[in-house]
Amino acid sequence: MKPPPFQYAAPTSVAEAVELLGAHADDDARALAGGQSLVPLMNFRLAQPAYLIDLRRIEELTRIRTEGDTLVIGAMVRQSHAEHAPEIAVGAPLLAEALGYVAHPPIRNSGTVGGSIAHADPAAELPAVVLALDAELVLAGLGGTRTVAAADFFTGPFSTAIGSGEILTEVRIPRRAGGHAFVEFARTHGNFALVGVAAVVELDGGTVARASIALSGVAPVPVRATAAEEALTGTVPDDASIRAAVDAAVAGLSPAGDVHGGRETRTDIARSYLRRGIELALSRAGDRR
Amino acid sequence: MTTMDRPDAPPVRTHKENRKWVGQSIRRVEDPKFLRGRGGYIGDMTVPGMLHAAVLRSPHAHARITGIDAAEALAAPGVHAVITGAQAAQLCDPLPDFGPDPAKHTWRCLAVDKVRYVGEGVAVVVADSRYLAEDALALIDVEYEPLPAVVDPERALADGAPLVHDDLGSNCAYERTFDFGDVERDFAEADVIVTDRLRWHRSGGQPLETVGALADFDHATGELTVHTNSLSFTSYLFMVAGTMKIPANKLDIRPVPAGGSFGSKLFATKPAVIAGMCSREVGHPVQYLEDRVDNISNCDHHGSDRVYDVRLAMMRDGTIRGIDIDTVEDYGAYIQFGVGHHGNALAQVVGPYAMTSVRYRVRAAMTNKNQQGAYRGFGSEVNNWMLEQMVDKAARELDLDPVAIRRQNFIREFPHFIPTGNVYDSGDYDGVLDKALELSDYKHWRAEQAKAREEGRCIGIGLITAQERSVFSATEFWFWFDEPGAPVTSMPESVTLKVDATGGITATLYSCAFWGNSPETMVAQLVAEEFDCDPHDVAIVYQGSKNGLPATGPGGSRTTVMLAGAVEGATAKIKAKALRAAAHLLEANPDDMEWVDGGFQVKGVPEQRKSLADIAVMLHLFKHSFPEDMESGLEDSKVFDHPYTTMPSADRKDLGVFYPFMGHACHVPVVEVDLETGSVSFLAYAAVHDCGTLVNPRSLAGHIVGGTAQGIGTALYEEFVYDDDGQLLTSSYLDYLIPSAMEVPELKIGHHETPSPYTLHGIKGGGEGGRMMAPAAINVAVNDALAHLGVRVTELPITPDRLRAAIRAAKSRESG
Amino acid sequence: MDRHDVTLTVNGRTSTVSVEPRKLLVDVLREDLGLTGTHVGCEHGVCGTCTVLRDGESIRSCTTFAVQVDGAEIRTVEGLAKGAELHPLQDEFWDKQGLQCGYCTPGMLMRACEIIEGNPDVTHDQVREGIASNLCRCTGYQFITEAVCAAAARMKADSAETTGAQA
Ligand SMILES: Cc1cc2nc3c(=O)[nH]c(=O)nc-3n(C[C@H](O)[C@H](O)[C@H](O)COP(=O)(O)OP(=O)(O)OC[C@H]3O[C@@H](n4cnc5c(N)ncnc54)[C@H](O)[C@@H]3O)c2cc1C
Ligand code: FES
Ligand code: FES
Repeated sequence: MKPPPFQYAAPTSVAEAVELLGAHADDDARALAGGQSLVPLMNFRLAQPAYLIDLRRIEELTRIRTEGDTLVIGAMVRQSHAEHAPEIAVGAPLLAEALGYVAHPPIRNSGTVGGSIAHADPAAELPAVVLALDAELVLAGLGGTRTVAAADFFTGPFSTAIGSGEILTEVRIPRRAGGHAFVEFARTHGNFALVGVAAVVELDGGTVARASIALSGVAPVPVRATAAEEALTGTVPDDASIRAAVDAAVAGLSPAGDVHGGRETRTDIARSYLRRGIELALSRAGDRR
Repeated sequence: MTTMDRPDAPPVRTHKENRKWVGQSIRRVEDPKFLRGRGGYIGDMTVPGMLHAAVLRSPHAHARITGIDAAEALAAPGVHAVITGAQAAQLCDPLPDFGPDPAKHTWRCLAVDKVRYVGEGVAVVVADSRYLAEDALALIDVEYEPLPAVVDPERALADGAPLVHDDLGSNCAYERTFDFGDVERDFAEADVIVTDRLRWHRSGGQPLETVGALADFDHATGELTVHTNSLSFTSYLFMVAGTMKIPANKLDIRPVPAGGSFGSKLFATKPAVIAGMCSREVGHPVQYLEDRVDNISNCDHHGSDRVYDVRLAMMRDGTIRGIDIDTVEDYGAYIQFGVGHHGNALAQVVGPYAMTSVRYRVRAAMTNKNQQGAYRGFGSEVNNWMLEQMVDKAARELDLDPVAIRRQNFIREFPHFIPTGNVYDSGDYDGVLDKALELSDYKHWRAEQAKAREEGRCIGIGLITAQERSVFSATEFWFWFDEPGAPVTSMPESVTLKVDATGGITATLYSCAFWGNSPETMVAQLVAEEFDCDPHDVAIVYQGSKNGLPATGPGGSRTTVMLAGAVEGATAKIKAKALRAAAHLLEANPDDMEWVDGGFQVKGVPEQRKSLADIAVMLHLFKHSFPEDMESGLEDSKVFDHPYTTMPSADRKDLGVFYPFMGHACHVPVVEVDLETGSVSFLAYAAVHDCGTLVNPRSLAGHIVGGTAQGIGTALYEEFVYDDDGQLLTSSYLDYLIPSAMEVPELKIGHHETPSPYTLHGIKGGGEGGRMMAPAAINVAVNDALAHLGVRVTELPITPDRLRAAIRAAKSRESG
Repeated sequence: MDRHDVTLTVNGRTSTVSVEPRKLLVDVLREDLGLTGTHVGCEHGVCGTCTVLRDGESIRSCTTFAVQVDGAEIRTVEGLAKGAELHPLQDEFWDKQGLQCGYCTPGMLMRACEIIEGNPDVTHDQVREGIASNLCRCTGYQFITEAVCAAAARMKADSAETTGAQA
């Protein structure tokens, strides 16, 4: 199980990287981040890019900074660094919590925040998180940069709005008030989840002022549980209203089954974990009041 | 009852008291090299000029091969050879096969006319590196004509199913029904007949190291040397020479440490043959290592895959009278070990219970899957699971306590012959059960269970009591037939002990490769016990097959008992010579001398003494100090044959003794079931084992925990899943789920020691126990957690899909 | 064939090897540098058999191209013992029988090394969760966990002693 041959370059700037990508577009050139999805795929020879552009030497992509109310995370920030970064603990605790569920520490020590989002595995945690948080993804190409809302970014399993010749440079996450929760169900520790739930709920005097909930694992792309968000908003949450919100969200789901869980099982689990996620977010929102 | 005249049992032994080394949890002598990263596994070996092989796997479950074009691959950089299945069939004969009628399901190292499962090899490339070999694989063009696949074993046996082997004429490779004892009477007189249908899906050993071989064919001498991490059945390695079409005395198979086996490296001859064939073709040493996908899809060692229809004849008071078992086993595309897995089951088919009759029908189905081989338990773990589910169901149907029903039926007199003819040498099942009840805090958990139920939580306690047979014998492979093709009866193990001129001891082992078990430590402790030396001072050598004494190797939990017998025999020979030498040197009468603390001395006169080193230096270097007939040196060997095998009766109503040293265990997992997700987690786990006298208690405990972890995998996570078209859906570790430290609970382990009357020190084998118990215990625990909801799971592994389906069905029954 | 020079400091020794960019770190360690203590079990990132430390952090060397760690400091199992003296982790694995076949052991040791070095006060439960990144098919993890905890306690006591002696 050895990877096929390819050409390799490790540029030091975004400009250089997109130039190389453009120049080798015909060779199926690809960005290489932490390699924790790409290298296994290449070992299986399921991916055979002819040119890899390693982004690891581009300093500016490895920074985390705060711009006003927005947290800006460079695409090449390693998952384990993000997990423990104080800025993220404060600015996006939902992300920090979700990172603890991404694979295992040795994989997070190489895997990057941007790589996970760009890879767009329907079962992955981070895409659901950026969707729940209404984050923006910044893409750089030969023609300059553009910003895509998370809601428009994920276009299918393993496919995104990143155009050929573009790289993801930054994730911009607006700060959100309220209680957060990331919960997921995986069959074994550190493995991909069957269902993940990312939730942020804001209370105003006991009434839900705003709820953002996203699910992974139940559709080809991460999805917002809009029905649940709407059902919760404006209510004083109790068991009945939570159940109603969960039922509303689950009614709209039709997950594809696989060897780890068929459609019905995934739906059952989504029902259970939506409730757990909402309850945890609410309890944390309550704590903050 | 059969009225077979049973041959005498071996003499009952008295065991040495005050043992110094046997029974100590010494540090394993094997470990320092592994801890330093100098294990010397097969992948670590390189020799000058070595090339690398990679195998092209079939993407189809069932297809005719209509053409292979390897020209482009052959021209690729670094490629030395491409051998297709058709070419391989010219170069090599079929692989060694212990199956029912090998000519009807011919098994070769590469597929020839058609492929029979996803992953079957169709060609091999030899290149300068594994990278280049895999590059070339992508260039081989194989034309397939897909055929309909047969995946379900029962459908495979039905009329009109696609044939896996045309020569067989059906997909049934073996069928027979055996009656042991008076089945008709027991069932006629029963108050209640408990029935069930049970399904055990396939998992496998999946050691972290795959199988590999490094072969070097020397055209000058015609000799083939193969280093491989598979060995065992060493006495049968001449069959590999047959496959290679070379004389048996031109083949040397040398063991290297294996990174785990769990059965799955047992006589894994295919990689050795592929490497050997390639080496002979290209004239270089060739290394072939399976990668993980090869190992999952093409290792020939998937575990049991059974459907059971079972009836249990019960009296209302809880007495178990007899059992009627009808099983279909999915063997996959070939059947290399025949139905030996069911021999394992028959060795302990009645468990610890004193029932008097057994009916056993077995049908072996051929399907488009990788074939079965060995996985820790070799089929008896499945029998344990089946039997304990049945006893559990009987307890529920008769409203009896699950502990009481087991205790009521325990066998208490030993040696005990079970209806199949196998013997249980010794045991104390009450003692094990009592210990387990205490260790597991059984009463406390029953109280917790009741409390939890009030809160709507589902806690279950899974107490099982089951057998752990050890030290298998050859008859298991042929008593299936009235006229067996090869009714062999030898399964020996050998050891050579050499005392050098300084008194240092070296033990040479034959075929007992290191597989993660501890042959070196066991032998060192046993030698130390005999010679009063420090086990860490004993040197151990593994001999290749060519200069080897007759040997069988690990498997069927036989290593420790068999090595102990061989060590004892070799020691006796050495001590006899040493005694004679010492007596001569001291001018004493040998009858007046005794072995004390590492030397011989005149009884009661410690000054009149020669240590082993004193004797050894004289015997090695001072020939003329001894009588003419004493040879120089101090070295001897023992070929130790299986200590207790008896022949089956001609009518096969009594299979004889073939697995005599019977261990026993009681496992008590406490689980909690999450009804919403169908997941199972552990709250506690206690296990008490009785494997006779312990040699190294910590090593045994390690095997119990490790085996239990594998049993947890079998019960909850691991399954080789083939879809309806025969596609393998679990060809990576993302999908074939091996339990991590977070899925395995801390075990409380208890030991109970009921020595065997027939073995040195009373040792029994114990390497497989954890996995022989855990699946049964966990299934019982899950059912205990859900019984009040009317849910009973009868299929392993208990995945969220299966458990949720059962819960949903119960709910709809309730509301419907 | 396109080749790249990669400079690695492995267990304190710096060397430069010229490799194809596709060559996996584990193969460079095993084949080019002769350090066969690091094994492969799955070659797709799941089992952890190939775990080494890169600049003090554990990584999977089977899902890392050597070119990706050019300039890095790598530690492998071969760097743990000081001559005849085993590292406390190795010694405790031996004492507690934290290994059977030994195949997962080098990766397990390196992961444990990272866990202990990152948190000398690591608890039993944290160790268990920490080593869940690495599969072991033999031991069921219990004695590995015991060994890592014992090594952590020993290393802490040793370092307290050294600090005490210096003070
Ligand atoms: C055993 C195992 C378990 C795992 N479990 C999980 C899990 O539970 N949850 C989870 O989410 N992930 C899991 N992963 C995947 C892991 O999180 C990866 O790190 C992540 O998905 C990809 O990040 P990376 O930096 O390694 O990207 P790479 O593997 O380097 O790249 C992935 C893909 O994204 C593209 N890409 C990367 N960065 C950019 C960029 N900046 N711009 C444009 N394209 C880019 C690459 O071209 C490639 O196609 C697991 C991986 C393994 C091996
Ligand atoms: S070999 Fe690297 S994770 Fe399995
Ligand atoms: S000791 Fe064998 S895999 Fe861990």
